[in-house]
Amino acid sequence: MKSVPMLSGAFLQPAGQSLPDPLLAVRNERAAALADMPMPTRKTENWKYSSKYLKLTEDMAATLPATEKASSLDVPGYRIVLNNGAINRADSQYPDQGGITVQHFSDLDADDASSLAQKLGSTLDAEQTQFAQINSARFEDGLLIRLAANTVLDKPLFILHETAATQNGSAFPRIFVEAGTNSEMTLVEAYVSEGDSAALVDTVTEFQLADGANITSIRLTMEGETVQHIGATGVLQQRNSRFESHCVGFGGPLRRHDLQVRLEGEGAETKLNGVVVTQGKQHYDNHTSIDHVAAHCNSEETYRNIAADQSHAVFNGRIHIHQDAQKSNADMNNKNLLLSNGAEIDTKPELEIYADDVKCAHGATIGQLDETSVFYLVSRGIGRRQANVLLTMAFINELVEQIPVEAVRDTAQARLNDFFDQTFQEA
Amino acid sequence: MLSIKNLHASVEGKEILKGINLEIKAGEVHAIMGPNGSGKSTLSQVLAGNDAFEVTSGEVTLNGDNLLDLETEERAREGIFLAFQYPVEIPGVSNLQFLRTAVNAMRKHRGEEEMNAAEFMKLAKEVSKQVDLDPAFLKRGVNEGFSGGEKKRNEIMQALLLQPKLAILDETDSGLDIDALQVVSNGVNALRAEDRAILMVTHYQRLLNHIVPDYVHVLAGGRIVKSGGRELALELEEKGYGWLGIKDEDTSN
Amino acid sequence: MATTDKEVKELIKREYEHGFVTEIESDTFEPGLNEDVIRRLSEIKQEPEFMLEWRLKAYRRWLEMDEPEWAHVDFPKVDYDAISYYSAPKKKEDMPQSLDDVDPELLRTYEKLGIPLHERAKLAGVAVDAVFDSVSVATTFKEPLEKAGVIFCPISEAVQKYPELVKKYLGSVVPAGDNYFAALNSAVFSDGSFVYIPKGVRCPMELSTYFRINAANTGQFERTLIIAEEGSYVSYLEGCTAPMRDENQLHAAVVELVALDDAQIKYSTVQNWYPGDENGKGGIYNFVTKRGACIGKNSKISWTQVETGSAITWKYPSCVLRGENSVGEFYSVALTHNYQQADTGTKMIHLGKNTRSTIISKGISAGRSSNAYRGLVKFGPGAEGARNFTQCDSLLIGDRCGAHTFPYIESKNKSAIVEHEATTSKVSDEQMFLCRQRGIDPEQAVSMIVNGFCKEVFKELPMEFAVEAGKLLEVSLEGSVG
Repeated sequence: MKSVPMLSGAFLQPAGQSLPDPLLAVRNERAAALADMPMPTRKTENWKYSSKYLKLTEDMAATLPATEKASSLDVPGYRIVLNNGAINRADSQYPDQGGITVQHFSDLDADDASSLAQKLGSTLDAEQTQFAQINSARFEDGLLIRLAANTVLDKPLFILHETAATQNGSAFPRIFVEAGTNSEMTLVEAYVSEGDSAALVDTVTEFQLADGANITSIRLTMEGETVQHIGATGVLQQRNSRFESHCVGFGGPLRRHDLQVRLEGEGAETKLNGVVVTQGKQHYDNHTSIDHVAAHCNSEETYRNIAADQSHAVFNGRIHIHQDAQKSNADMNNKNLLLSNGAEIDTKPELEIYADDVKCAHGATIGQLDETSVFYLVSRGIGRRQANVLLTMAFINELVEQIPVEAVRDTAQARLNDFFDQTFQEA
Repeated sequence: MLSIKNLHASVEGKEILKGINLEIKAGEVHAIMGPNGSGKSTLSQVLAGNDAFEVTSGEVTLNGDNLLDLETEERAREGIFLAFQYPVEIPGVSNLQFLRTAVNAMRKHRGEEEMNAAEFMKLAKEVSKQVDLDPAFLKRGVNEGFSGGEKKRNEIMQALLLQPKLAILDETDSGLDIDALQVVSNGVNALRAEDRAILMVTHYQRLLNHIVPDYVHVLAGGRIVKSGGRELALELEEKGYGWLGIKDEDTSN
Repeated sequence: MATTDKEVKELIKREYEHGFVTEIESDTFEPGLNEDVIRRLSEIKQEPEFMLEWRLKAYRRWLEMDEPEWAHVDFPKVDYDAISYYSAPKKKEDMPQSLDDVDPELLRTYEKLGIPLHERAKLAGVAVDAVFDSVSVATTFKEPLEKAGVIFCPISEAVQKYPELVKKYLGSVVPAGDNYFAALNSAVFSDGSFVYIPKGVRCPMELSTYFRINAANTGQFERTLIIAEEGSYVSYLEGCTAPMRDENQLHAAVVELVALDDAQIKYSTVQNWYPGDENGKGGIYNFVTKRGACIGKNSKISWTQVETGSAITWKYPSCVLRGENSVGEFYSVALTHNYQQADTGTKMIHLGKNTRSTIISKGISAGRSSNAYRGLVKFGPGAEGARNFTQCDSLLIGDRCGAHTFPYIESKNKSAIVEHEATTSKVSDEQMFLCRQRGIDPEQAVSMIVNGFCKEVFKELPMEFAVEAGKLLEVSLEGSVG
């Protein structure tokens, strides 16, 4: 099958028309703006290390059909199931608490739709998120989640992204979250798949946090070996709001997540944690960017990558302190563990600073398991394999422990155990 | 020597000093005591000319000259020395280089020859011994990686080197163990002279066992509420600030 | 404390002291670049055929290349046909045979710059090659160097006298087609220094080249090649200045270093090209490719740079660490002020076993300038046990400047270890208050604090240049306290 030279050429196909007019207008507008968008190559700075993993063929351009298959995941909270990006009402359990509304884009009335149309995509830097732009031109439906002021959601809301790769094609899930003043919520997104056809999941999630809102976002990326996953998360934060993100990613043929946070109100705070493990010939690329636009904001970022076998993990973290963002505190830390000589890790922690009265620092390391630590454990009678597992887990444990939803922690841990089983063979 | 009349000062719009009056003559040692937040440190910063504090009214003269008109460095050259409560680090700038620059700035101001590196080294070594600091300290960055006690001794060493007319010691005793306190006090006592005044700002009276003041003032709510001799400090120790109708949870010591 | 900024701003206003023009008759090419210009240049230099071919090949490559746009700098397109590619002081028939033949006006120029070339006043222990516009005008201490077997001469002379060495090494580290500016330089380079240190020789003195751009509308394209044979050692310094002119001038140099087994090269730069005026008018475009190859085992290349000049700096002195146990070092102070832009850093390419590298970068931004560190640390699959440590610190003076860090770190070897740290700070109000309370002038305080910030780099400079570098910072910072 022919590969795709121009993203826009093959990927901008007509999509279904079951959306309110203002959203159809957004889609058409984006489609037009995308004309002639080239496929990212090694020379495209934000795809420098990952373009070679993009394997998009013309037959993957069609939207995968909705399957309405019930999810196999059992979750302790509210849940919305998306099959190939389409919302499965029957299998979803919508929150029944007051103050939260979960609506489908396709159900919105004209006012809500035109209000959403204004905001859709506004949390993301269009130039840096080519695939989010394609999503904007292709989404068939989406979820609008709104928290009224002072609403505190009592249970986490799970969004289960189920991709059925039973034929070649793409899914374009789209989520928009508006958190009102002083509202609180934990949103969990889990990405899984079945089937072994070539699929692309091109997903976009956006958050707008009003003053004092407090959102925890958890993201588990666990699709199969034939699914290419490209996700973008955009976050806009107003005064004194707090955003906390926990991303756990397992490698695949192509995995990409762009997480962009803009601190637009004074006193806003953001904390980004990320764990990535890759093995075999897998790939994972995290691009984060934090824009300190307002003064007196804090950001703290900790990402850890572990690459085994012939896999390839990439981290690109950018902190941008704007001119008037005095008294900003920004701290970024990226540590990487390279478990094999065939594997590769690339990291680029960037600072762009235009204000003088700020405290900014970043640190990055790449290394292997500390042999003396391994020896120490072995000398205490622990098997070498077990010692490797323990120390590798220790490298990310601190971040896994911080995931505030136990069920997610357990799922992540179980998958990590599989990863260790496959990576560290019995001697 | 120093005359403060009805001094008002504020920081970020909030008034901290609300009419301070104080006369200090050459040769005298004054102690200003008071609970946390009473304005003690503000007074020392204002006298030294920290721009973060705004003088809203009142006057301060040093030997008859208006002090408030002078820039920080000009005040220093006129003989005002502030031993900081929290001395800041200046990475990469050696103590020696810093001190020599300061000493020479003063000498230049007085129309004296600047000291060359060798002369200064000799002098600095002697003085560092006086406060029990290893001369190796001179080569380290200003306050870089110094312990709390080392920082305080370093401050006193600077006072000994710069020979000020008025030395203001801001909480010089805080964070010191008893041995270090003794060393610092010896340094301060060595500073006492006919033509020099010392203003000590402290929360606790224990420093005053080592450096006996001529006068003690109690600062509260931005004003001096009581003045007396040495015995006032002892009385405060015994009865706490509450005795003067001042709220303070932290007077035990 | 609002006054800190005010003080800093005032401190930075200061005249560029090397901004004078030497009135001297020059032979200058008409502006413009084509193959004929290159042929003429090669002919004037009496180059052997291979050199002309090499240049033409580079020129043809250059024509096919695009100007790089990835750097964090912003400037109007350079019109390469408005530049003259050769300018040399007029001289009597031949090259000057001794200093007595050098135009006294030129000698005075260098004296004014603090680089006396005359026998009596020569810098003790430092041999100087003085390059004026497109040609080398004088080289001091030729004899004692020759006795030691060291070759230190203009590269145009080396092309004629040592064609085999030139043929072997020129372009071996920075190939002609390496990048846009390197290709341009390979086509039109006019002069520069050539250094050859034979096996086992420790060069008896510091070698130094002093680059001076004088003529208007000319570009300077010097080329430096240093070869350190097995077990040899050399310390080399370069300095640069230019007159104040309203037009931007292009300086596109290439420096290649080759270190064989157990050899060491220490390369220091004090770059003080005219930075433009306080409104950003004029100044040198400094687009330079510098790279060293540690070919031999246990070899070491160390770059130290103090960059205070130029309107735009685009420069990444790099090390290719091929030999086992070879070491690369990069120590940099880059100061930008007014509208200066710097995008500078290094690449440490670890290919061999147990190779080690250290990067210490100190960026100081003032005024409305932009100062970026851009670096690459790369461990190839064969870089068993390799190590890198990187520390990038930025200091901001004033709230209208920018300080940026773009480090690329790539590893393909699990036993390699890289540690990278970066921080940003300002001259704090508390530091200023402490200094002033001790009677120190605000200006002196800022310069002392900035010097302290740069200390780790200055201690890598040869003694007499460390002092000069400190002074240079003081000058460049003048008016930055506002």
